[in-house]
This record gives sequence, structure tokens and C-alpha cells, in this order.
Amino acid sequence: MSTETSTATATATATPRTEPAATLLRVENLHTVFEKDDSVVHAVNDVSFDVRRGEVLAIVGESGSGKSITAMSLLRLIPSPPGQIIGGRVLFDGQDLLDLPDDAIRQLRGRDISMIFQEPMTSLNPSLRIGRQLAEPLRVHGSVPKDKVRERCIELLRQVRIGDPEKRLDAYPHELSGGMRQRVMIAMGLACLPRLIIADEPTTALDVTVQAQILELLRDITRASQSSMMLITHDLGVVARYADRINVMYAGRIVERGTAHDIFHRPRHPYTVGLMESMPRLDDAIGNRLTPIPGSPPDLSDPPSGCPFHPRCRFAQPRCKQERPPLERLDQEHWKACWVNLDDTH
Amino acid sequence: MTHTDSHTDVTAPLLQVSGLKVHFPLRPGLFGKPAAMVKAVDGVDFTVHRGETLGLVGESGCGKSTTGLAVLRMTPLTEGRIVFDGEDISHPDAATTKRLRRKMQMVYQDPFGALNPRMRVLDIIGEPLRVHRLTRTRAEYRERVMDLLDRVGLKAEMADRYPHEFSGGQRQRIGIARALAADPSLIICDEPVSALDVSIQAQVINLLEDLQRDLGLTYLFVAHDLAVVRHLCHRIVVMYLGRVVEVADRERLYQAPRHPYTRALLGAIPIADPDPVVQARFNPSVDGEVPSPIDPPPGCPFHPRCPHATDLCRREAPRPIDVEDGHSVACHLHDPSRVAEMNHSEPSYQEQARNIA
Ligand SMILES: Nc1ncnc2c1ncn2[C@@H]1O[C@H](COP(=O)(O)OP(=O)(O)OP(=O)(O)O)[C@@H](O)[C@H]1O
Ligand SMILES: Nc1ncnc2c1ncn2[C@@H]1O[C@H](COP(=O)(O)OP(=O)(O)O)[C@@H](O)[C@H]1O
Ligand code: SF4
Ligand code: SF4
Ligand SMILES: [Mg+2]
Ligand SMILES: [Mg+2]
Repeated sequence: MSTETSTATATATATPRTEPAATLLRVENLHTVFEKDDSVVHAVNDVSFDVRRGEVLAIVGESGSGKSITAMSLLRLIPSPPGQIIGGRVLFDGQDLLDLPDDAIRQLRGRDISMIFQEPMTSLNPSLRIGRQLAEPLRVHGSVPKDKVRERCIELLRQVRIGDPEKRLDAYPHELSGGMRQRVMIAMGLACLPRLIIADEPTTALDVTVQAQILELLRDITRASQSSMMLITHDLGVVARYADRINVMYAGRIVERGTAHDIFHRPRHPYTVGLMESMPRLDDAIGNRLTPIPGSPPDLSDPPSGCPFHPRCRFAQPRCKQERPPLERLDQEHWKACWVNLDDTH
Repeated sequence: MTHTDSHTDVTAPLLQVSGLKVHFPLRPGLFGKPAAMVKAVDGVDFTVHRGETLGLVGESGCGKSTTGLAVLRMTPLTEGRIVFDGEDISHPDAATTKRLRRKMQMVYQDPFGALNPRMRVLDIIGEPLRVHRLTRTRAEYRERVMDLLDRVGLKAEMADRYPHEFSGGQRQRIGIARALAADPSLIICDEPVSALDVSIQAQVINLLEDLQRDLGLTYLFVAHDLAVVRHLCHRIVVMYLGRVVEVADRERLYQAPRHPYTRALLGAIPIADPDPVVQARFNPSVDGEVPSPIDPPPGCPFHPRCPHATDLCRREAPRPIDVEDGHSVACHLHDPSRVAEMNHSEPSYQEQARNIA
């Protein structure tokens, strides 16, 4: 097994990989379920990971794999009923967020950890002017004196490169384009200088030229403020460009984790390998045939026995049907949950 | 209307669209004010050859779907001419429309919305057979649907189930089987894989390729994912704000894009490889967003975002120029009769193209 400590990511942080940076957030054995009629959906199943100071940590996976529910569980935003966090710990500053009193977690949201959602139209209130909404987190957390709120709002809009910020404060969300609304959401997320920004598919609804502008901006701002970002997406291109480390989720579990280099250049889980092979790339030879992953993702109310990927896995062995492989370390940063040892040839 | 019912010329293009405009009235004007118009498609020309896949790409709202609907004759033309299989279908009568409904089919983006939830798969796929009376007996009907299911990789026993029992990828297969039922010569695919997960997308892409090879189908493929388009389409039409800005075969479009918008678009696609050498190609060179088609900018529609814009661009719309055989670009910089007026020095295009490719 290679012991190289790769910093060969486009987004290499200042911290060398040999000495992992301090942990900002630690998630241990998180388990979130939804109860429906007579079935239970294990949306997030025994998930553990760290977010380090100053890094961009990605969570990738197909729709329904549990990415958003993982993020929402951290901030206790799960609709309950039907949802419930039934196990695990979320340690932030040594405190377990799952144990915090309701008013304490409310204080923490938006101040220490903020979340940027996918659809800016549904997360902004359509009947309130942009300025009012932007001022809200500042007022709630009292982070700026009252007479400085307007000034700070203008500064925030300028930071996310919205032209004419003084005038835009008076606009309603529908008067802004999709890209501008998403910038406002980012400005709201940044308002109180949080230490962790959770961005859940922040650009999925946007055009590619606008997506590029927004992701570059988000990355530059988190870097400049030395905060951390949890970037949730299904887009492998976005992950390759912006993530330092990557968690690959499948059926509510993390199946592989590594640096961007590990995941893209030496994937070791058959699902990750399958994703890489099934994706058309701009640098493929023309005329190449794609190699799809057969079948479709499992129904989480009735997941397969053993390894959740076994019905679709071309490397599956008899053991895979019975026993679920644990997430195990391959080297310093690289982890996988699979019984079989793949090498670079797969 | 010209009618050529005789034998079709197999070397002639299957579809020719020229000067196509589709404008929608926005809201009836109050107090007799004229209604504002959405210029969804504002002067589009392209040709689709038999057996090829022509890609129609561009960002949201640039008029791709409207162009598709106009070709299908499901939306009225404001201006322009559409010739399908040698026949002018710009103003079709009822009989022509009926024939077109058979010869052109559509595969939609949303595999969840496109299928009637109360119909069995058998009758969803078989609907075109019933509408056009293509089978005579119940047994023949069922057999034909079974063949179609097999073609798209679904099992015969699935015929009696309802859409909600299927996954997204399977529903898209059902939609494709239905589009094949009436033996069409043109299939318009409007974002057929963009609602699907990556691992399922590849299954549907491969199926579309197999069907084209086996049945000699022609596709007009509408999409915004440029990697998928590069994989599937032989030639590509790039649209911006209701106009065509560049047309080229895929090799040239991706290796040597000429139009400033095409270059910006290709430079903004995140590349799925963290290698710094590869990432250096990422070059999102434009700011801002696509303006509204209700009040499009005068002159070249791209000028407010274009790094090379001049007064000429603000004043006058560029016309499409053939820069090479089969490669056309609508930009003053590529128009030999205007380039002097552009009056502006900058790095050579080949050099910039290489940076993106
Ligand atoms: N029936 C209609 N009435 C009014 N405006 C319309 C109508 N259909 C489309 N438009 C407008 O025309 C423009 C082009 O729409 P169209 O659906 O063709 O875009 P598109 O390129 O397919 O976009 P997307 O990638 O988002 O599907 C848009 O501004 C749209 O809002
Ligand atoms: N409100 C809800 N009620 C029931 N099930 C839900 C709810 N929200 C999410 N789920 C289920 O939880 C699983 C994970 O969902 P999610 O985290 O949203 O996936 P994604 O990875 O696409 O973000 C899915 O199977 C989804 O159907
Ligand atoms: S454990 Fe078995 S089934 Fe699961 S991914 Fe590994 S080889 Fe495939
Ligand atoms: S015509 Fe002018 S504004 Fe339009 S793309 Fe060419 S250089 Fe840019
Ligand atoms: Mg989600
Ligand atoms: Mg469309």
C-alpha cells in the first residue's frame, strides 16, 4: 500500500497532511431514521467523520444516499415526527450538539455553524426585503451593534459581489436572479462569521457559468476567514475542484473516505470505482462506451443484507451477502468499507 | 405548402430549421398597452442529418426546449421555416400534424411527471400504437409492447405494473419505449438523463446509443451537461439567449471553440480530476448571468458579459460566419468584414482555444 502523503489537490490547504489539522467537529456513529406506516427508513446509518479547521470536506453520493439528512442531523433540523436521531454524538467545541438544550442549539445555528441550502427561493422569505432577511441573523445573535447592522449588510452583499448593494437591500427575492438569490443566501450564511459552513448542493439549481462564480467565491471566503466548509454535492467535478477530503456515501453509510487524490486517482471501493467509470468526461476518447453500475440504489426501508452495495457489485463474494464490511483505514487518510482488496488495475 | 409524398431523398437532411423565432406574449397588456414579449427563440438555424445526433446546448432559458417544441409543432412559430423529411411543416394542416405526431417523438426530462400514473406500462408504451392504429389485434398489440420492453432492457412481466413501481432510470426506459412505438424517424430528447443519478445516467446513455445503432434513429438531443453532450452528439449547436452562437462537430467544438460564450461555458465546467495540471484548465472567464429574454440586450446578445465586446457589438448583432467547413460562429471577431472595425488587440484565438481544450 502506498504511504505517500498526497497534497496534490488543486485546493491544497496550508496544513501538511502528515499532521492532521485540529478537529472542529466530530461526528460519531450518527443514526437517523424516518418512521413511515410500518416501515423504518435508515436514512443515516452509523456515520462517523471529522471536519478539520480550515478544510473543505465533501460528502458525495447519489440522491437519497443520506447527505442532506446527515447535515440536518448535525444542527438538529430533522422534521420530527417522522424523523428521529436515534444514536450518535456530534461534538463541537467538546459539546455534544445532540444533548444541547433547544435554545442553545438555536443560538449556535447561524452563529457558529451556518447552513446554505440548495434552493434559494424556498429558503428566502418571498415577502420580506433582502435587507430585512440579511439583518435577521445579525439581530438574533447580536453580533453587531444595532446602528451598524445596515452597514454590515451592505458589506456582506459587497463581499458576495452583488453590485449596487445599497439599492439591493430594498429588493424582494423575486426581483433577483437565481444566482443573486444564492449569493444572498451565502451572505446570510456568512453574516456572523461562522466557524463551519454547511453548503448542501449550493449550486445545483444554477447554470454552470454562475455555479463557477459562486463556488469560487464560497471557497475564497471560507479560506480568507479560516473557517471550514462541509460541501454536499452529487457532482464529482465540483468535488474534485473544491474538496480537500471526501466522504462517499451509499445507502445511508460512508463507504469510502480519502483525500481528493485518493478518491479520484486510487479509489478502493467498488461503488466509487463504478461512479468514476460511469461518468462521461470531457477528456475521454470520443467513441468510448460508458460502463454503468447495473441496477439502482436500494430502498432504505428494506436495505440489502450484508454489504448494501452487493446486489450491484461486480466484485461481490458470498461473504458480502451476509456480513457488512466495516469502514477501515487503508492508510493515513484513506478508508473504505469493503471486504475485497482492489488495486489500481481493478 | 409543399408536399413531397414521393420517395424521400436519403441524402437530404432530415430536418432543416431556418430563421426560427418563437415569441410568447408575457401578460396581456393592461389598458390596451401592448403585451411584453418573451423572445424565447429569436432567429435560429440548424440542420439535422439522417442518423446523427445533434446536440442543442446552452444555459437555462436560452430556448432549447422551445426550439424542440417548435420542431414538434407543439408551439406556434412567430417566424421562420421548418422542413422535415422534404416537407415544409411550418404551417401544417390537421392531417400533416397527425403524421408528424407519429414520425417525431419526444423523450422528456422528468421521468416522474411524464408518465400517466393511472395507466399500466403496457398501455403507456402502447398508446402511440392505439392512437395511430398500428396494430390490429389485442394479441399483436401486446406482442409489440413486449418487443419494445425487451428493446429498452425491461422485463415482459413489467407490462402490467404502474409507473410508481419503477425507479427513475426504469421510468426513463419506459418513456423511450413509448417514443419508439410508432417507429419514428426523429426523436427529440429533452434533457433525458439530467434528472437521473450518475450511475443510472450511463445506463440510459448506452441504451440511446444502442438504439441509434440498431434502428438508425436520428436524435435532436437537448441538454446542458456538456460532458454528456460530447459523449453522445456528433454535432453541436450552442445557443445563447434565443440565438445560435456556434455550430461545429464535437471534435472542433471541444478542442477549438471559437465563440467567446462557448469558451466561457467550457471553461466553467468543473473537471472531475483534482490534479493541479488538469485544474489549471478551469477558467470561468465570464461574470454575471444570462439576461432576460423579455428585454434582451441590443446587438450581440452576449455583449454585456463578453470580455471582447466593443461598440460594434453593442450596436449590431453578428451574423453566422462559416469559419471552416461545418463550423459556424456568430461573432464579429470571426467576421472578416467586421474584424477591422472591432479594432482591438488580444491574444490569438488558437492560443486561447488551446488553454480551454
Ligand atoms: N409558454 C411560454 N410562455 C412564456 N414564456 C415562455 C414559455 N415557454 C418558455 N418561455 C420562456 O422562454 C425562454 C426559453 O425557454 P425554454 O424552456 O426554451 O428554455 P430552455 O433552454 O429549455 O431552458 P432549461 O435549460 O431551463 O430547460 C425562457 O425565458 C422561458 O421562461
Ligand atoms: N421527511 C422525510 N420523511 C421520510 N423519509 C425521508 C425524509 N427526508 C428524507 N428521507 C429519506 O431519507 C433518505 C436520505 O435522504 P437525504 O439525506 O435527503 O438524501 P440526499 O443524499 O439526496 O441528500 C432517503 O431515503 C429519503 O427518502
Ligand atoms: S463488500 Fe463485497 S459487495 Fe460490498 S463493495 Fe466490497 S466486494 Fe462489493
Ligand atoms: S460579437 Fe462582440 S460581444 Fe458578441 S461574442 Fe463576439 S466579441 Fe463578444
Ligand atoms: Mg439532498
Ligand atoms: Mg428546457
